[in-house]
Amino acid sequence: MTTSAFRLAILSGVLALWEIAARAGNPLLYVPPSAVLPSLVNLVALRSYPDLLEHVLLTAREIAVAYALAVAGGVGVGCALGGHRVLGRAYAPMLAALYAVPAVVWYPSLMLFFGLDAASKIAFGFLLGFFPITLAVLAGTRQVNPHLVTVARSFGASPLAVFAKVLLPGMLFTLVGGLRTGLALAVIGVIVGEVLGAKAGMGTLINHAYGLFRTADYVALVLVTLVLIVTSDVLASLVERRARRWTT
Amino acid sequence: MTVADAELIRIDGVAKRYRTASGVVDALGDVSLAVPEGQFCTIIGPSGCGKSTLLGMLAGLVGPDGGRVLIEGQPVTGPDPRRVATVFQDPGLFPWRTALENVEFGLELQGADRGRRRAVATELLGPLGLRGFAEKYPRELSGGMKQRVAIGRALAIDTKILLMDEPFGALDEQTRMLMGEWLLDIWRRTNKTVIFVTHSLHEALALSTRVVVMTARPGRIKSVLELPLGYPRAMESPELVTLRAKLWSEIRDESLRAMSES
Amino acid sequence: MSEARRIRLLQVASVLAVLAVWEASARAGWVDPLFVAPPSVVARAFGAIGGAALIALGDTLAKTAVAYTLAVGLGVPAGLMIGSVRAVHDVVHPFVVALYGIPKILVLPWIVLLLGFGTAPAVAYGAIHGLFPILVLVIGGVRDVDPALITVARSYGARPWQIYWKVILPASVPSVLASLRLGIVFCLLGVLIVEMFAGVRGMGHVLNALANGFQAAQLFAATALVSAASIGFVLALDALNEKLSHWRG
Ligand SMILES: Nc1ncnc2c1ncn2[C@@H]1O[C@H](COP(=O)(O)OP(=O)(O)OP(=O)(O)O)[C@@H](O)[C@H]1O
Ligand SMILES: [Mg+2]
Repeated sequence: MTTSAFRLAILSGVLALWEIAARAGNPLLYVPPSAVLPSLVNLVALRSYPDLLEHVLLTAREIAVAYALAVAGGVGVGCALGGHRVLGRAYAPMLAALYAVPAVVWYPSLMLFFGLDAASKIAFGFLLGFFPITLAVLAGTRQVNPHLVTVARSFGASPLAVFAKVLLPGMLFTLVGGLRTGLALAVIGVIVGEVLGAKAGMGTLINHAYGLFRTADYVALVLVTLVLIVTSDVLASLVERRARRWTT
Repeated sequence: MTVADAELIRIDGVAKRYRTASGVVDALGDVSLAVPEGQFCTIIGPSGCGKSTLLGMLAGLVGPDGGRVLIEGQPVTGPDPRRVATVFQDPGLFPWRTALENVEFGLELQGADRGRRRAVATELLGPLGLRGFAEKYPRELSGGMKQRVAIGRALAIDTKILLMDEPFGALDEQTRMLMGEWLLDIWRRTNKTVIFVTHSLHEALALSTRVVVMTARPGRIKSVLELPLGYPRAMESPELVTLRAKLWSEIRDESLRAMSES
Repeated sequence: MSEARRIRLLQVASVLAVLAVWEASARAGWVDPLFVAPPSVVARAFGAIGGAALIALGDTLAKTAVAYTLAVGLGVPAGLMIGSVRAVHDVVHPFVVALYGIPKILVLPWIVLLLGFGTAPAVAYGAIHGLFPILVLVIGGVRDVDPALITVARSYGARPWQIYWKVILPASVPSVLASLRLGIVFCLLGVLIVEMFAGVRGMGHVLNALANGFQAAQLFAATALVSAASIGFVLALDALNEKLSHWRG
């Protein structure tokens, strides 16, 4: 009870400070929260950006494709490396080393190769989502107690049955965690790509609003993008909870 | 010497109820017990009957819901490492400390200088069978070795009272018997008062001057068995065989009850 | 042949194979050399970008160092504090998680607007990028300290500060080190993004300029350079980690 009161106090304190600071400062740089609401209404009513929906849909589509590719690639590579000991020991450290590179260094190359359209964003979203999924699958396969595989085999389980009844349930917990992180990163990849250089999509709109000093619109666009992001994460967390209930 | 003087530990009508998200658990009923100085008092009872909880009260780690716990006539209000040392059921070794450093822990907190700490701890490792393992980290030790380090950590602060919660539970039977003999030896040389929790009838009968049998949860004292016998004990003697049968019949009922409830 | 040797061999062979296929496909004209320079040309490009790239890298790393110092100096103590004080944790943790989850790219334009072009926004953005993962990891590490160990310490008469010093801090060392490792990658990431978005100097700016100039070979060489630097840092931190948490299995 007092905890939520404190939280509320912090939240309203920050908003109030922001409002005061913004009113005192340069309106081009600081947007008071009270100015955001009208902008948000204009935005959602499609007055300030009539083609908002197209951009939202484009971004969502890029995310969906990037994520689908990341899941397919990540699960495939992860299973291959996790299932084959020598392959795993050879390539997992190399993957881990690549993961230690700030991914954005790849983006200029992707932009050069794929151009400024959706393809480069999809490629970047895929790249960001691919790593956590692969590593989670890898960790998951390693986490399954090998003794359980032996036990299942001693009861005559086929390789397929071993996978379905031992490996998959054993690694599901880690897997769904990785899938959720992968989605969050694929989303970030697409939006980063759009902000750094694109012709359309939410990131482009944000960039555009900022470039024209339409700061209230910028904040409103950020809020709409956040809704998109939070929605994707909530969906992922629902799936995650579902899967976790299934495992226990 | 009056009776009250000789009484080192007095437990007076304590009870404990745990409240958790999943409901309340009555761990301990109404327990009263007096332990004179120098006793080797063993507590035996079915799993979950509140033995660890009772030791926790003596260690000053668990506050009783009712009643009181007195040591040397003073109520226990918190941990008192000058008088009480505890060997926990889970060894609880600090994984970032070597075996030796774990044994030193209590002395370190009491501000003993490094040289003395080292000396005390090193001397203890020998009889614990850990001489070559001083610099090993807990993950490099077997389960039994870990438990012995935990015992060493408690012995290092040389307290009047030693609380031991199933200290040999994780050991194989041979090691267990040897450790029992070793503990007995220390106890007889130092005149410590030992409160010892075990599930082993053999251990209880071989070591204790007194065995306290507890009921299934909520734990109460079901009976107290005095064992005014010498050491070492011939476990096959008619006397001990009879005692063993008696103890088993007491415990059997409670264990059955505990199992059917859970 | 031992398995370790076989694995090493497989690694080297795969890298060589990838390079060979890449080289061959570029030479055979399967890919446009305008977009994908063959490895041999990339190797020569290292010489071409040479000193200028190293200066740019130094510039980026200097900003990263400041950002990292800020993120670590703020994040580790704050994380330890939030993690170990129950009341603070309960109030603050949802905010930390929310701020950690929000893609920082959304505030990038605003930070550039506020701080202009150049060093300041890069440092600020890099620090923000690094701060939250550090906070989350350190808080998690402190919260995960085995309560049994705290009980043991209490039974031996440890005072609150002793519990902090002798139990919570050493137990948190692995997660603090993990946060340092993750933090440096995130700080570098943040600095590079700002340099790409609104940079006038630094490696991010160089990469962007090379991409816009369709200089594939130089671009690949520069990318390799930053990647190598980052991997180097992480490996160094891994070595430190190995040293400081040798007690773990
Ligand atoms: N901190 C706690 N919170 C909630 N319940 C607890 C707690 N500690 C113990 N209990 C419950 O209280 C009861 C008694 O626990 P206790 O550990 O004292 O039993 P025990 O006799 O030592 O059992 P065992 O022989 O298995 O070690 C158990 O049902 C246990 O689940
Ligand atoms: Mg117990």
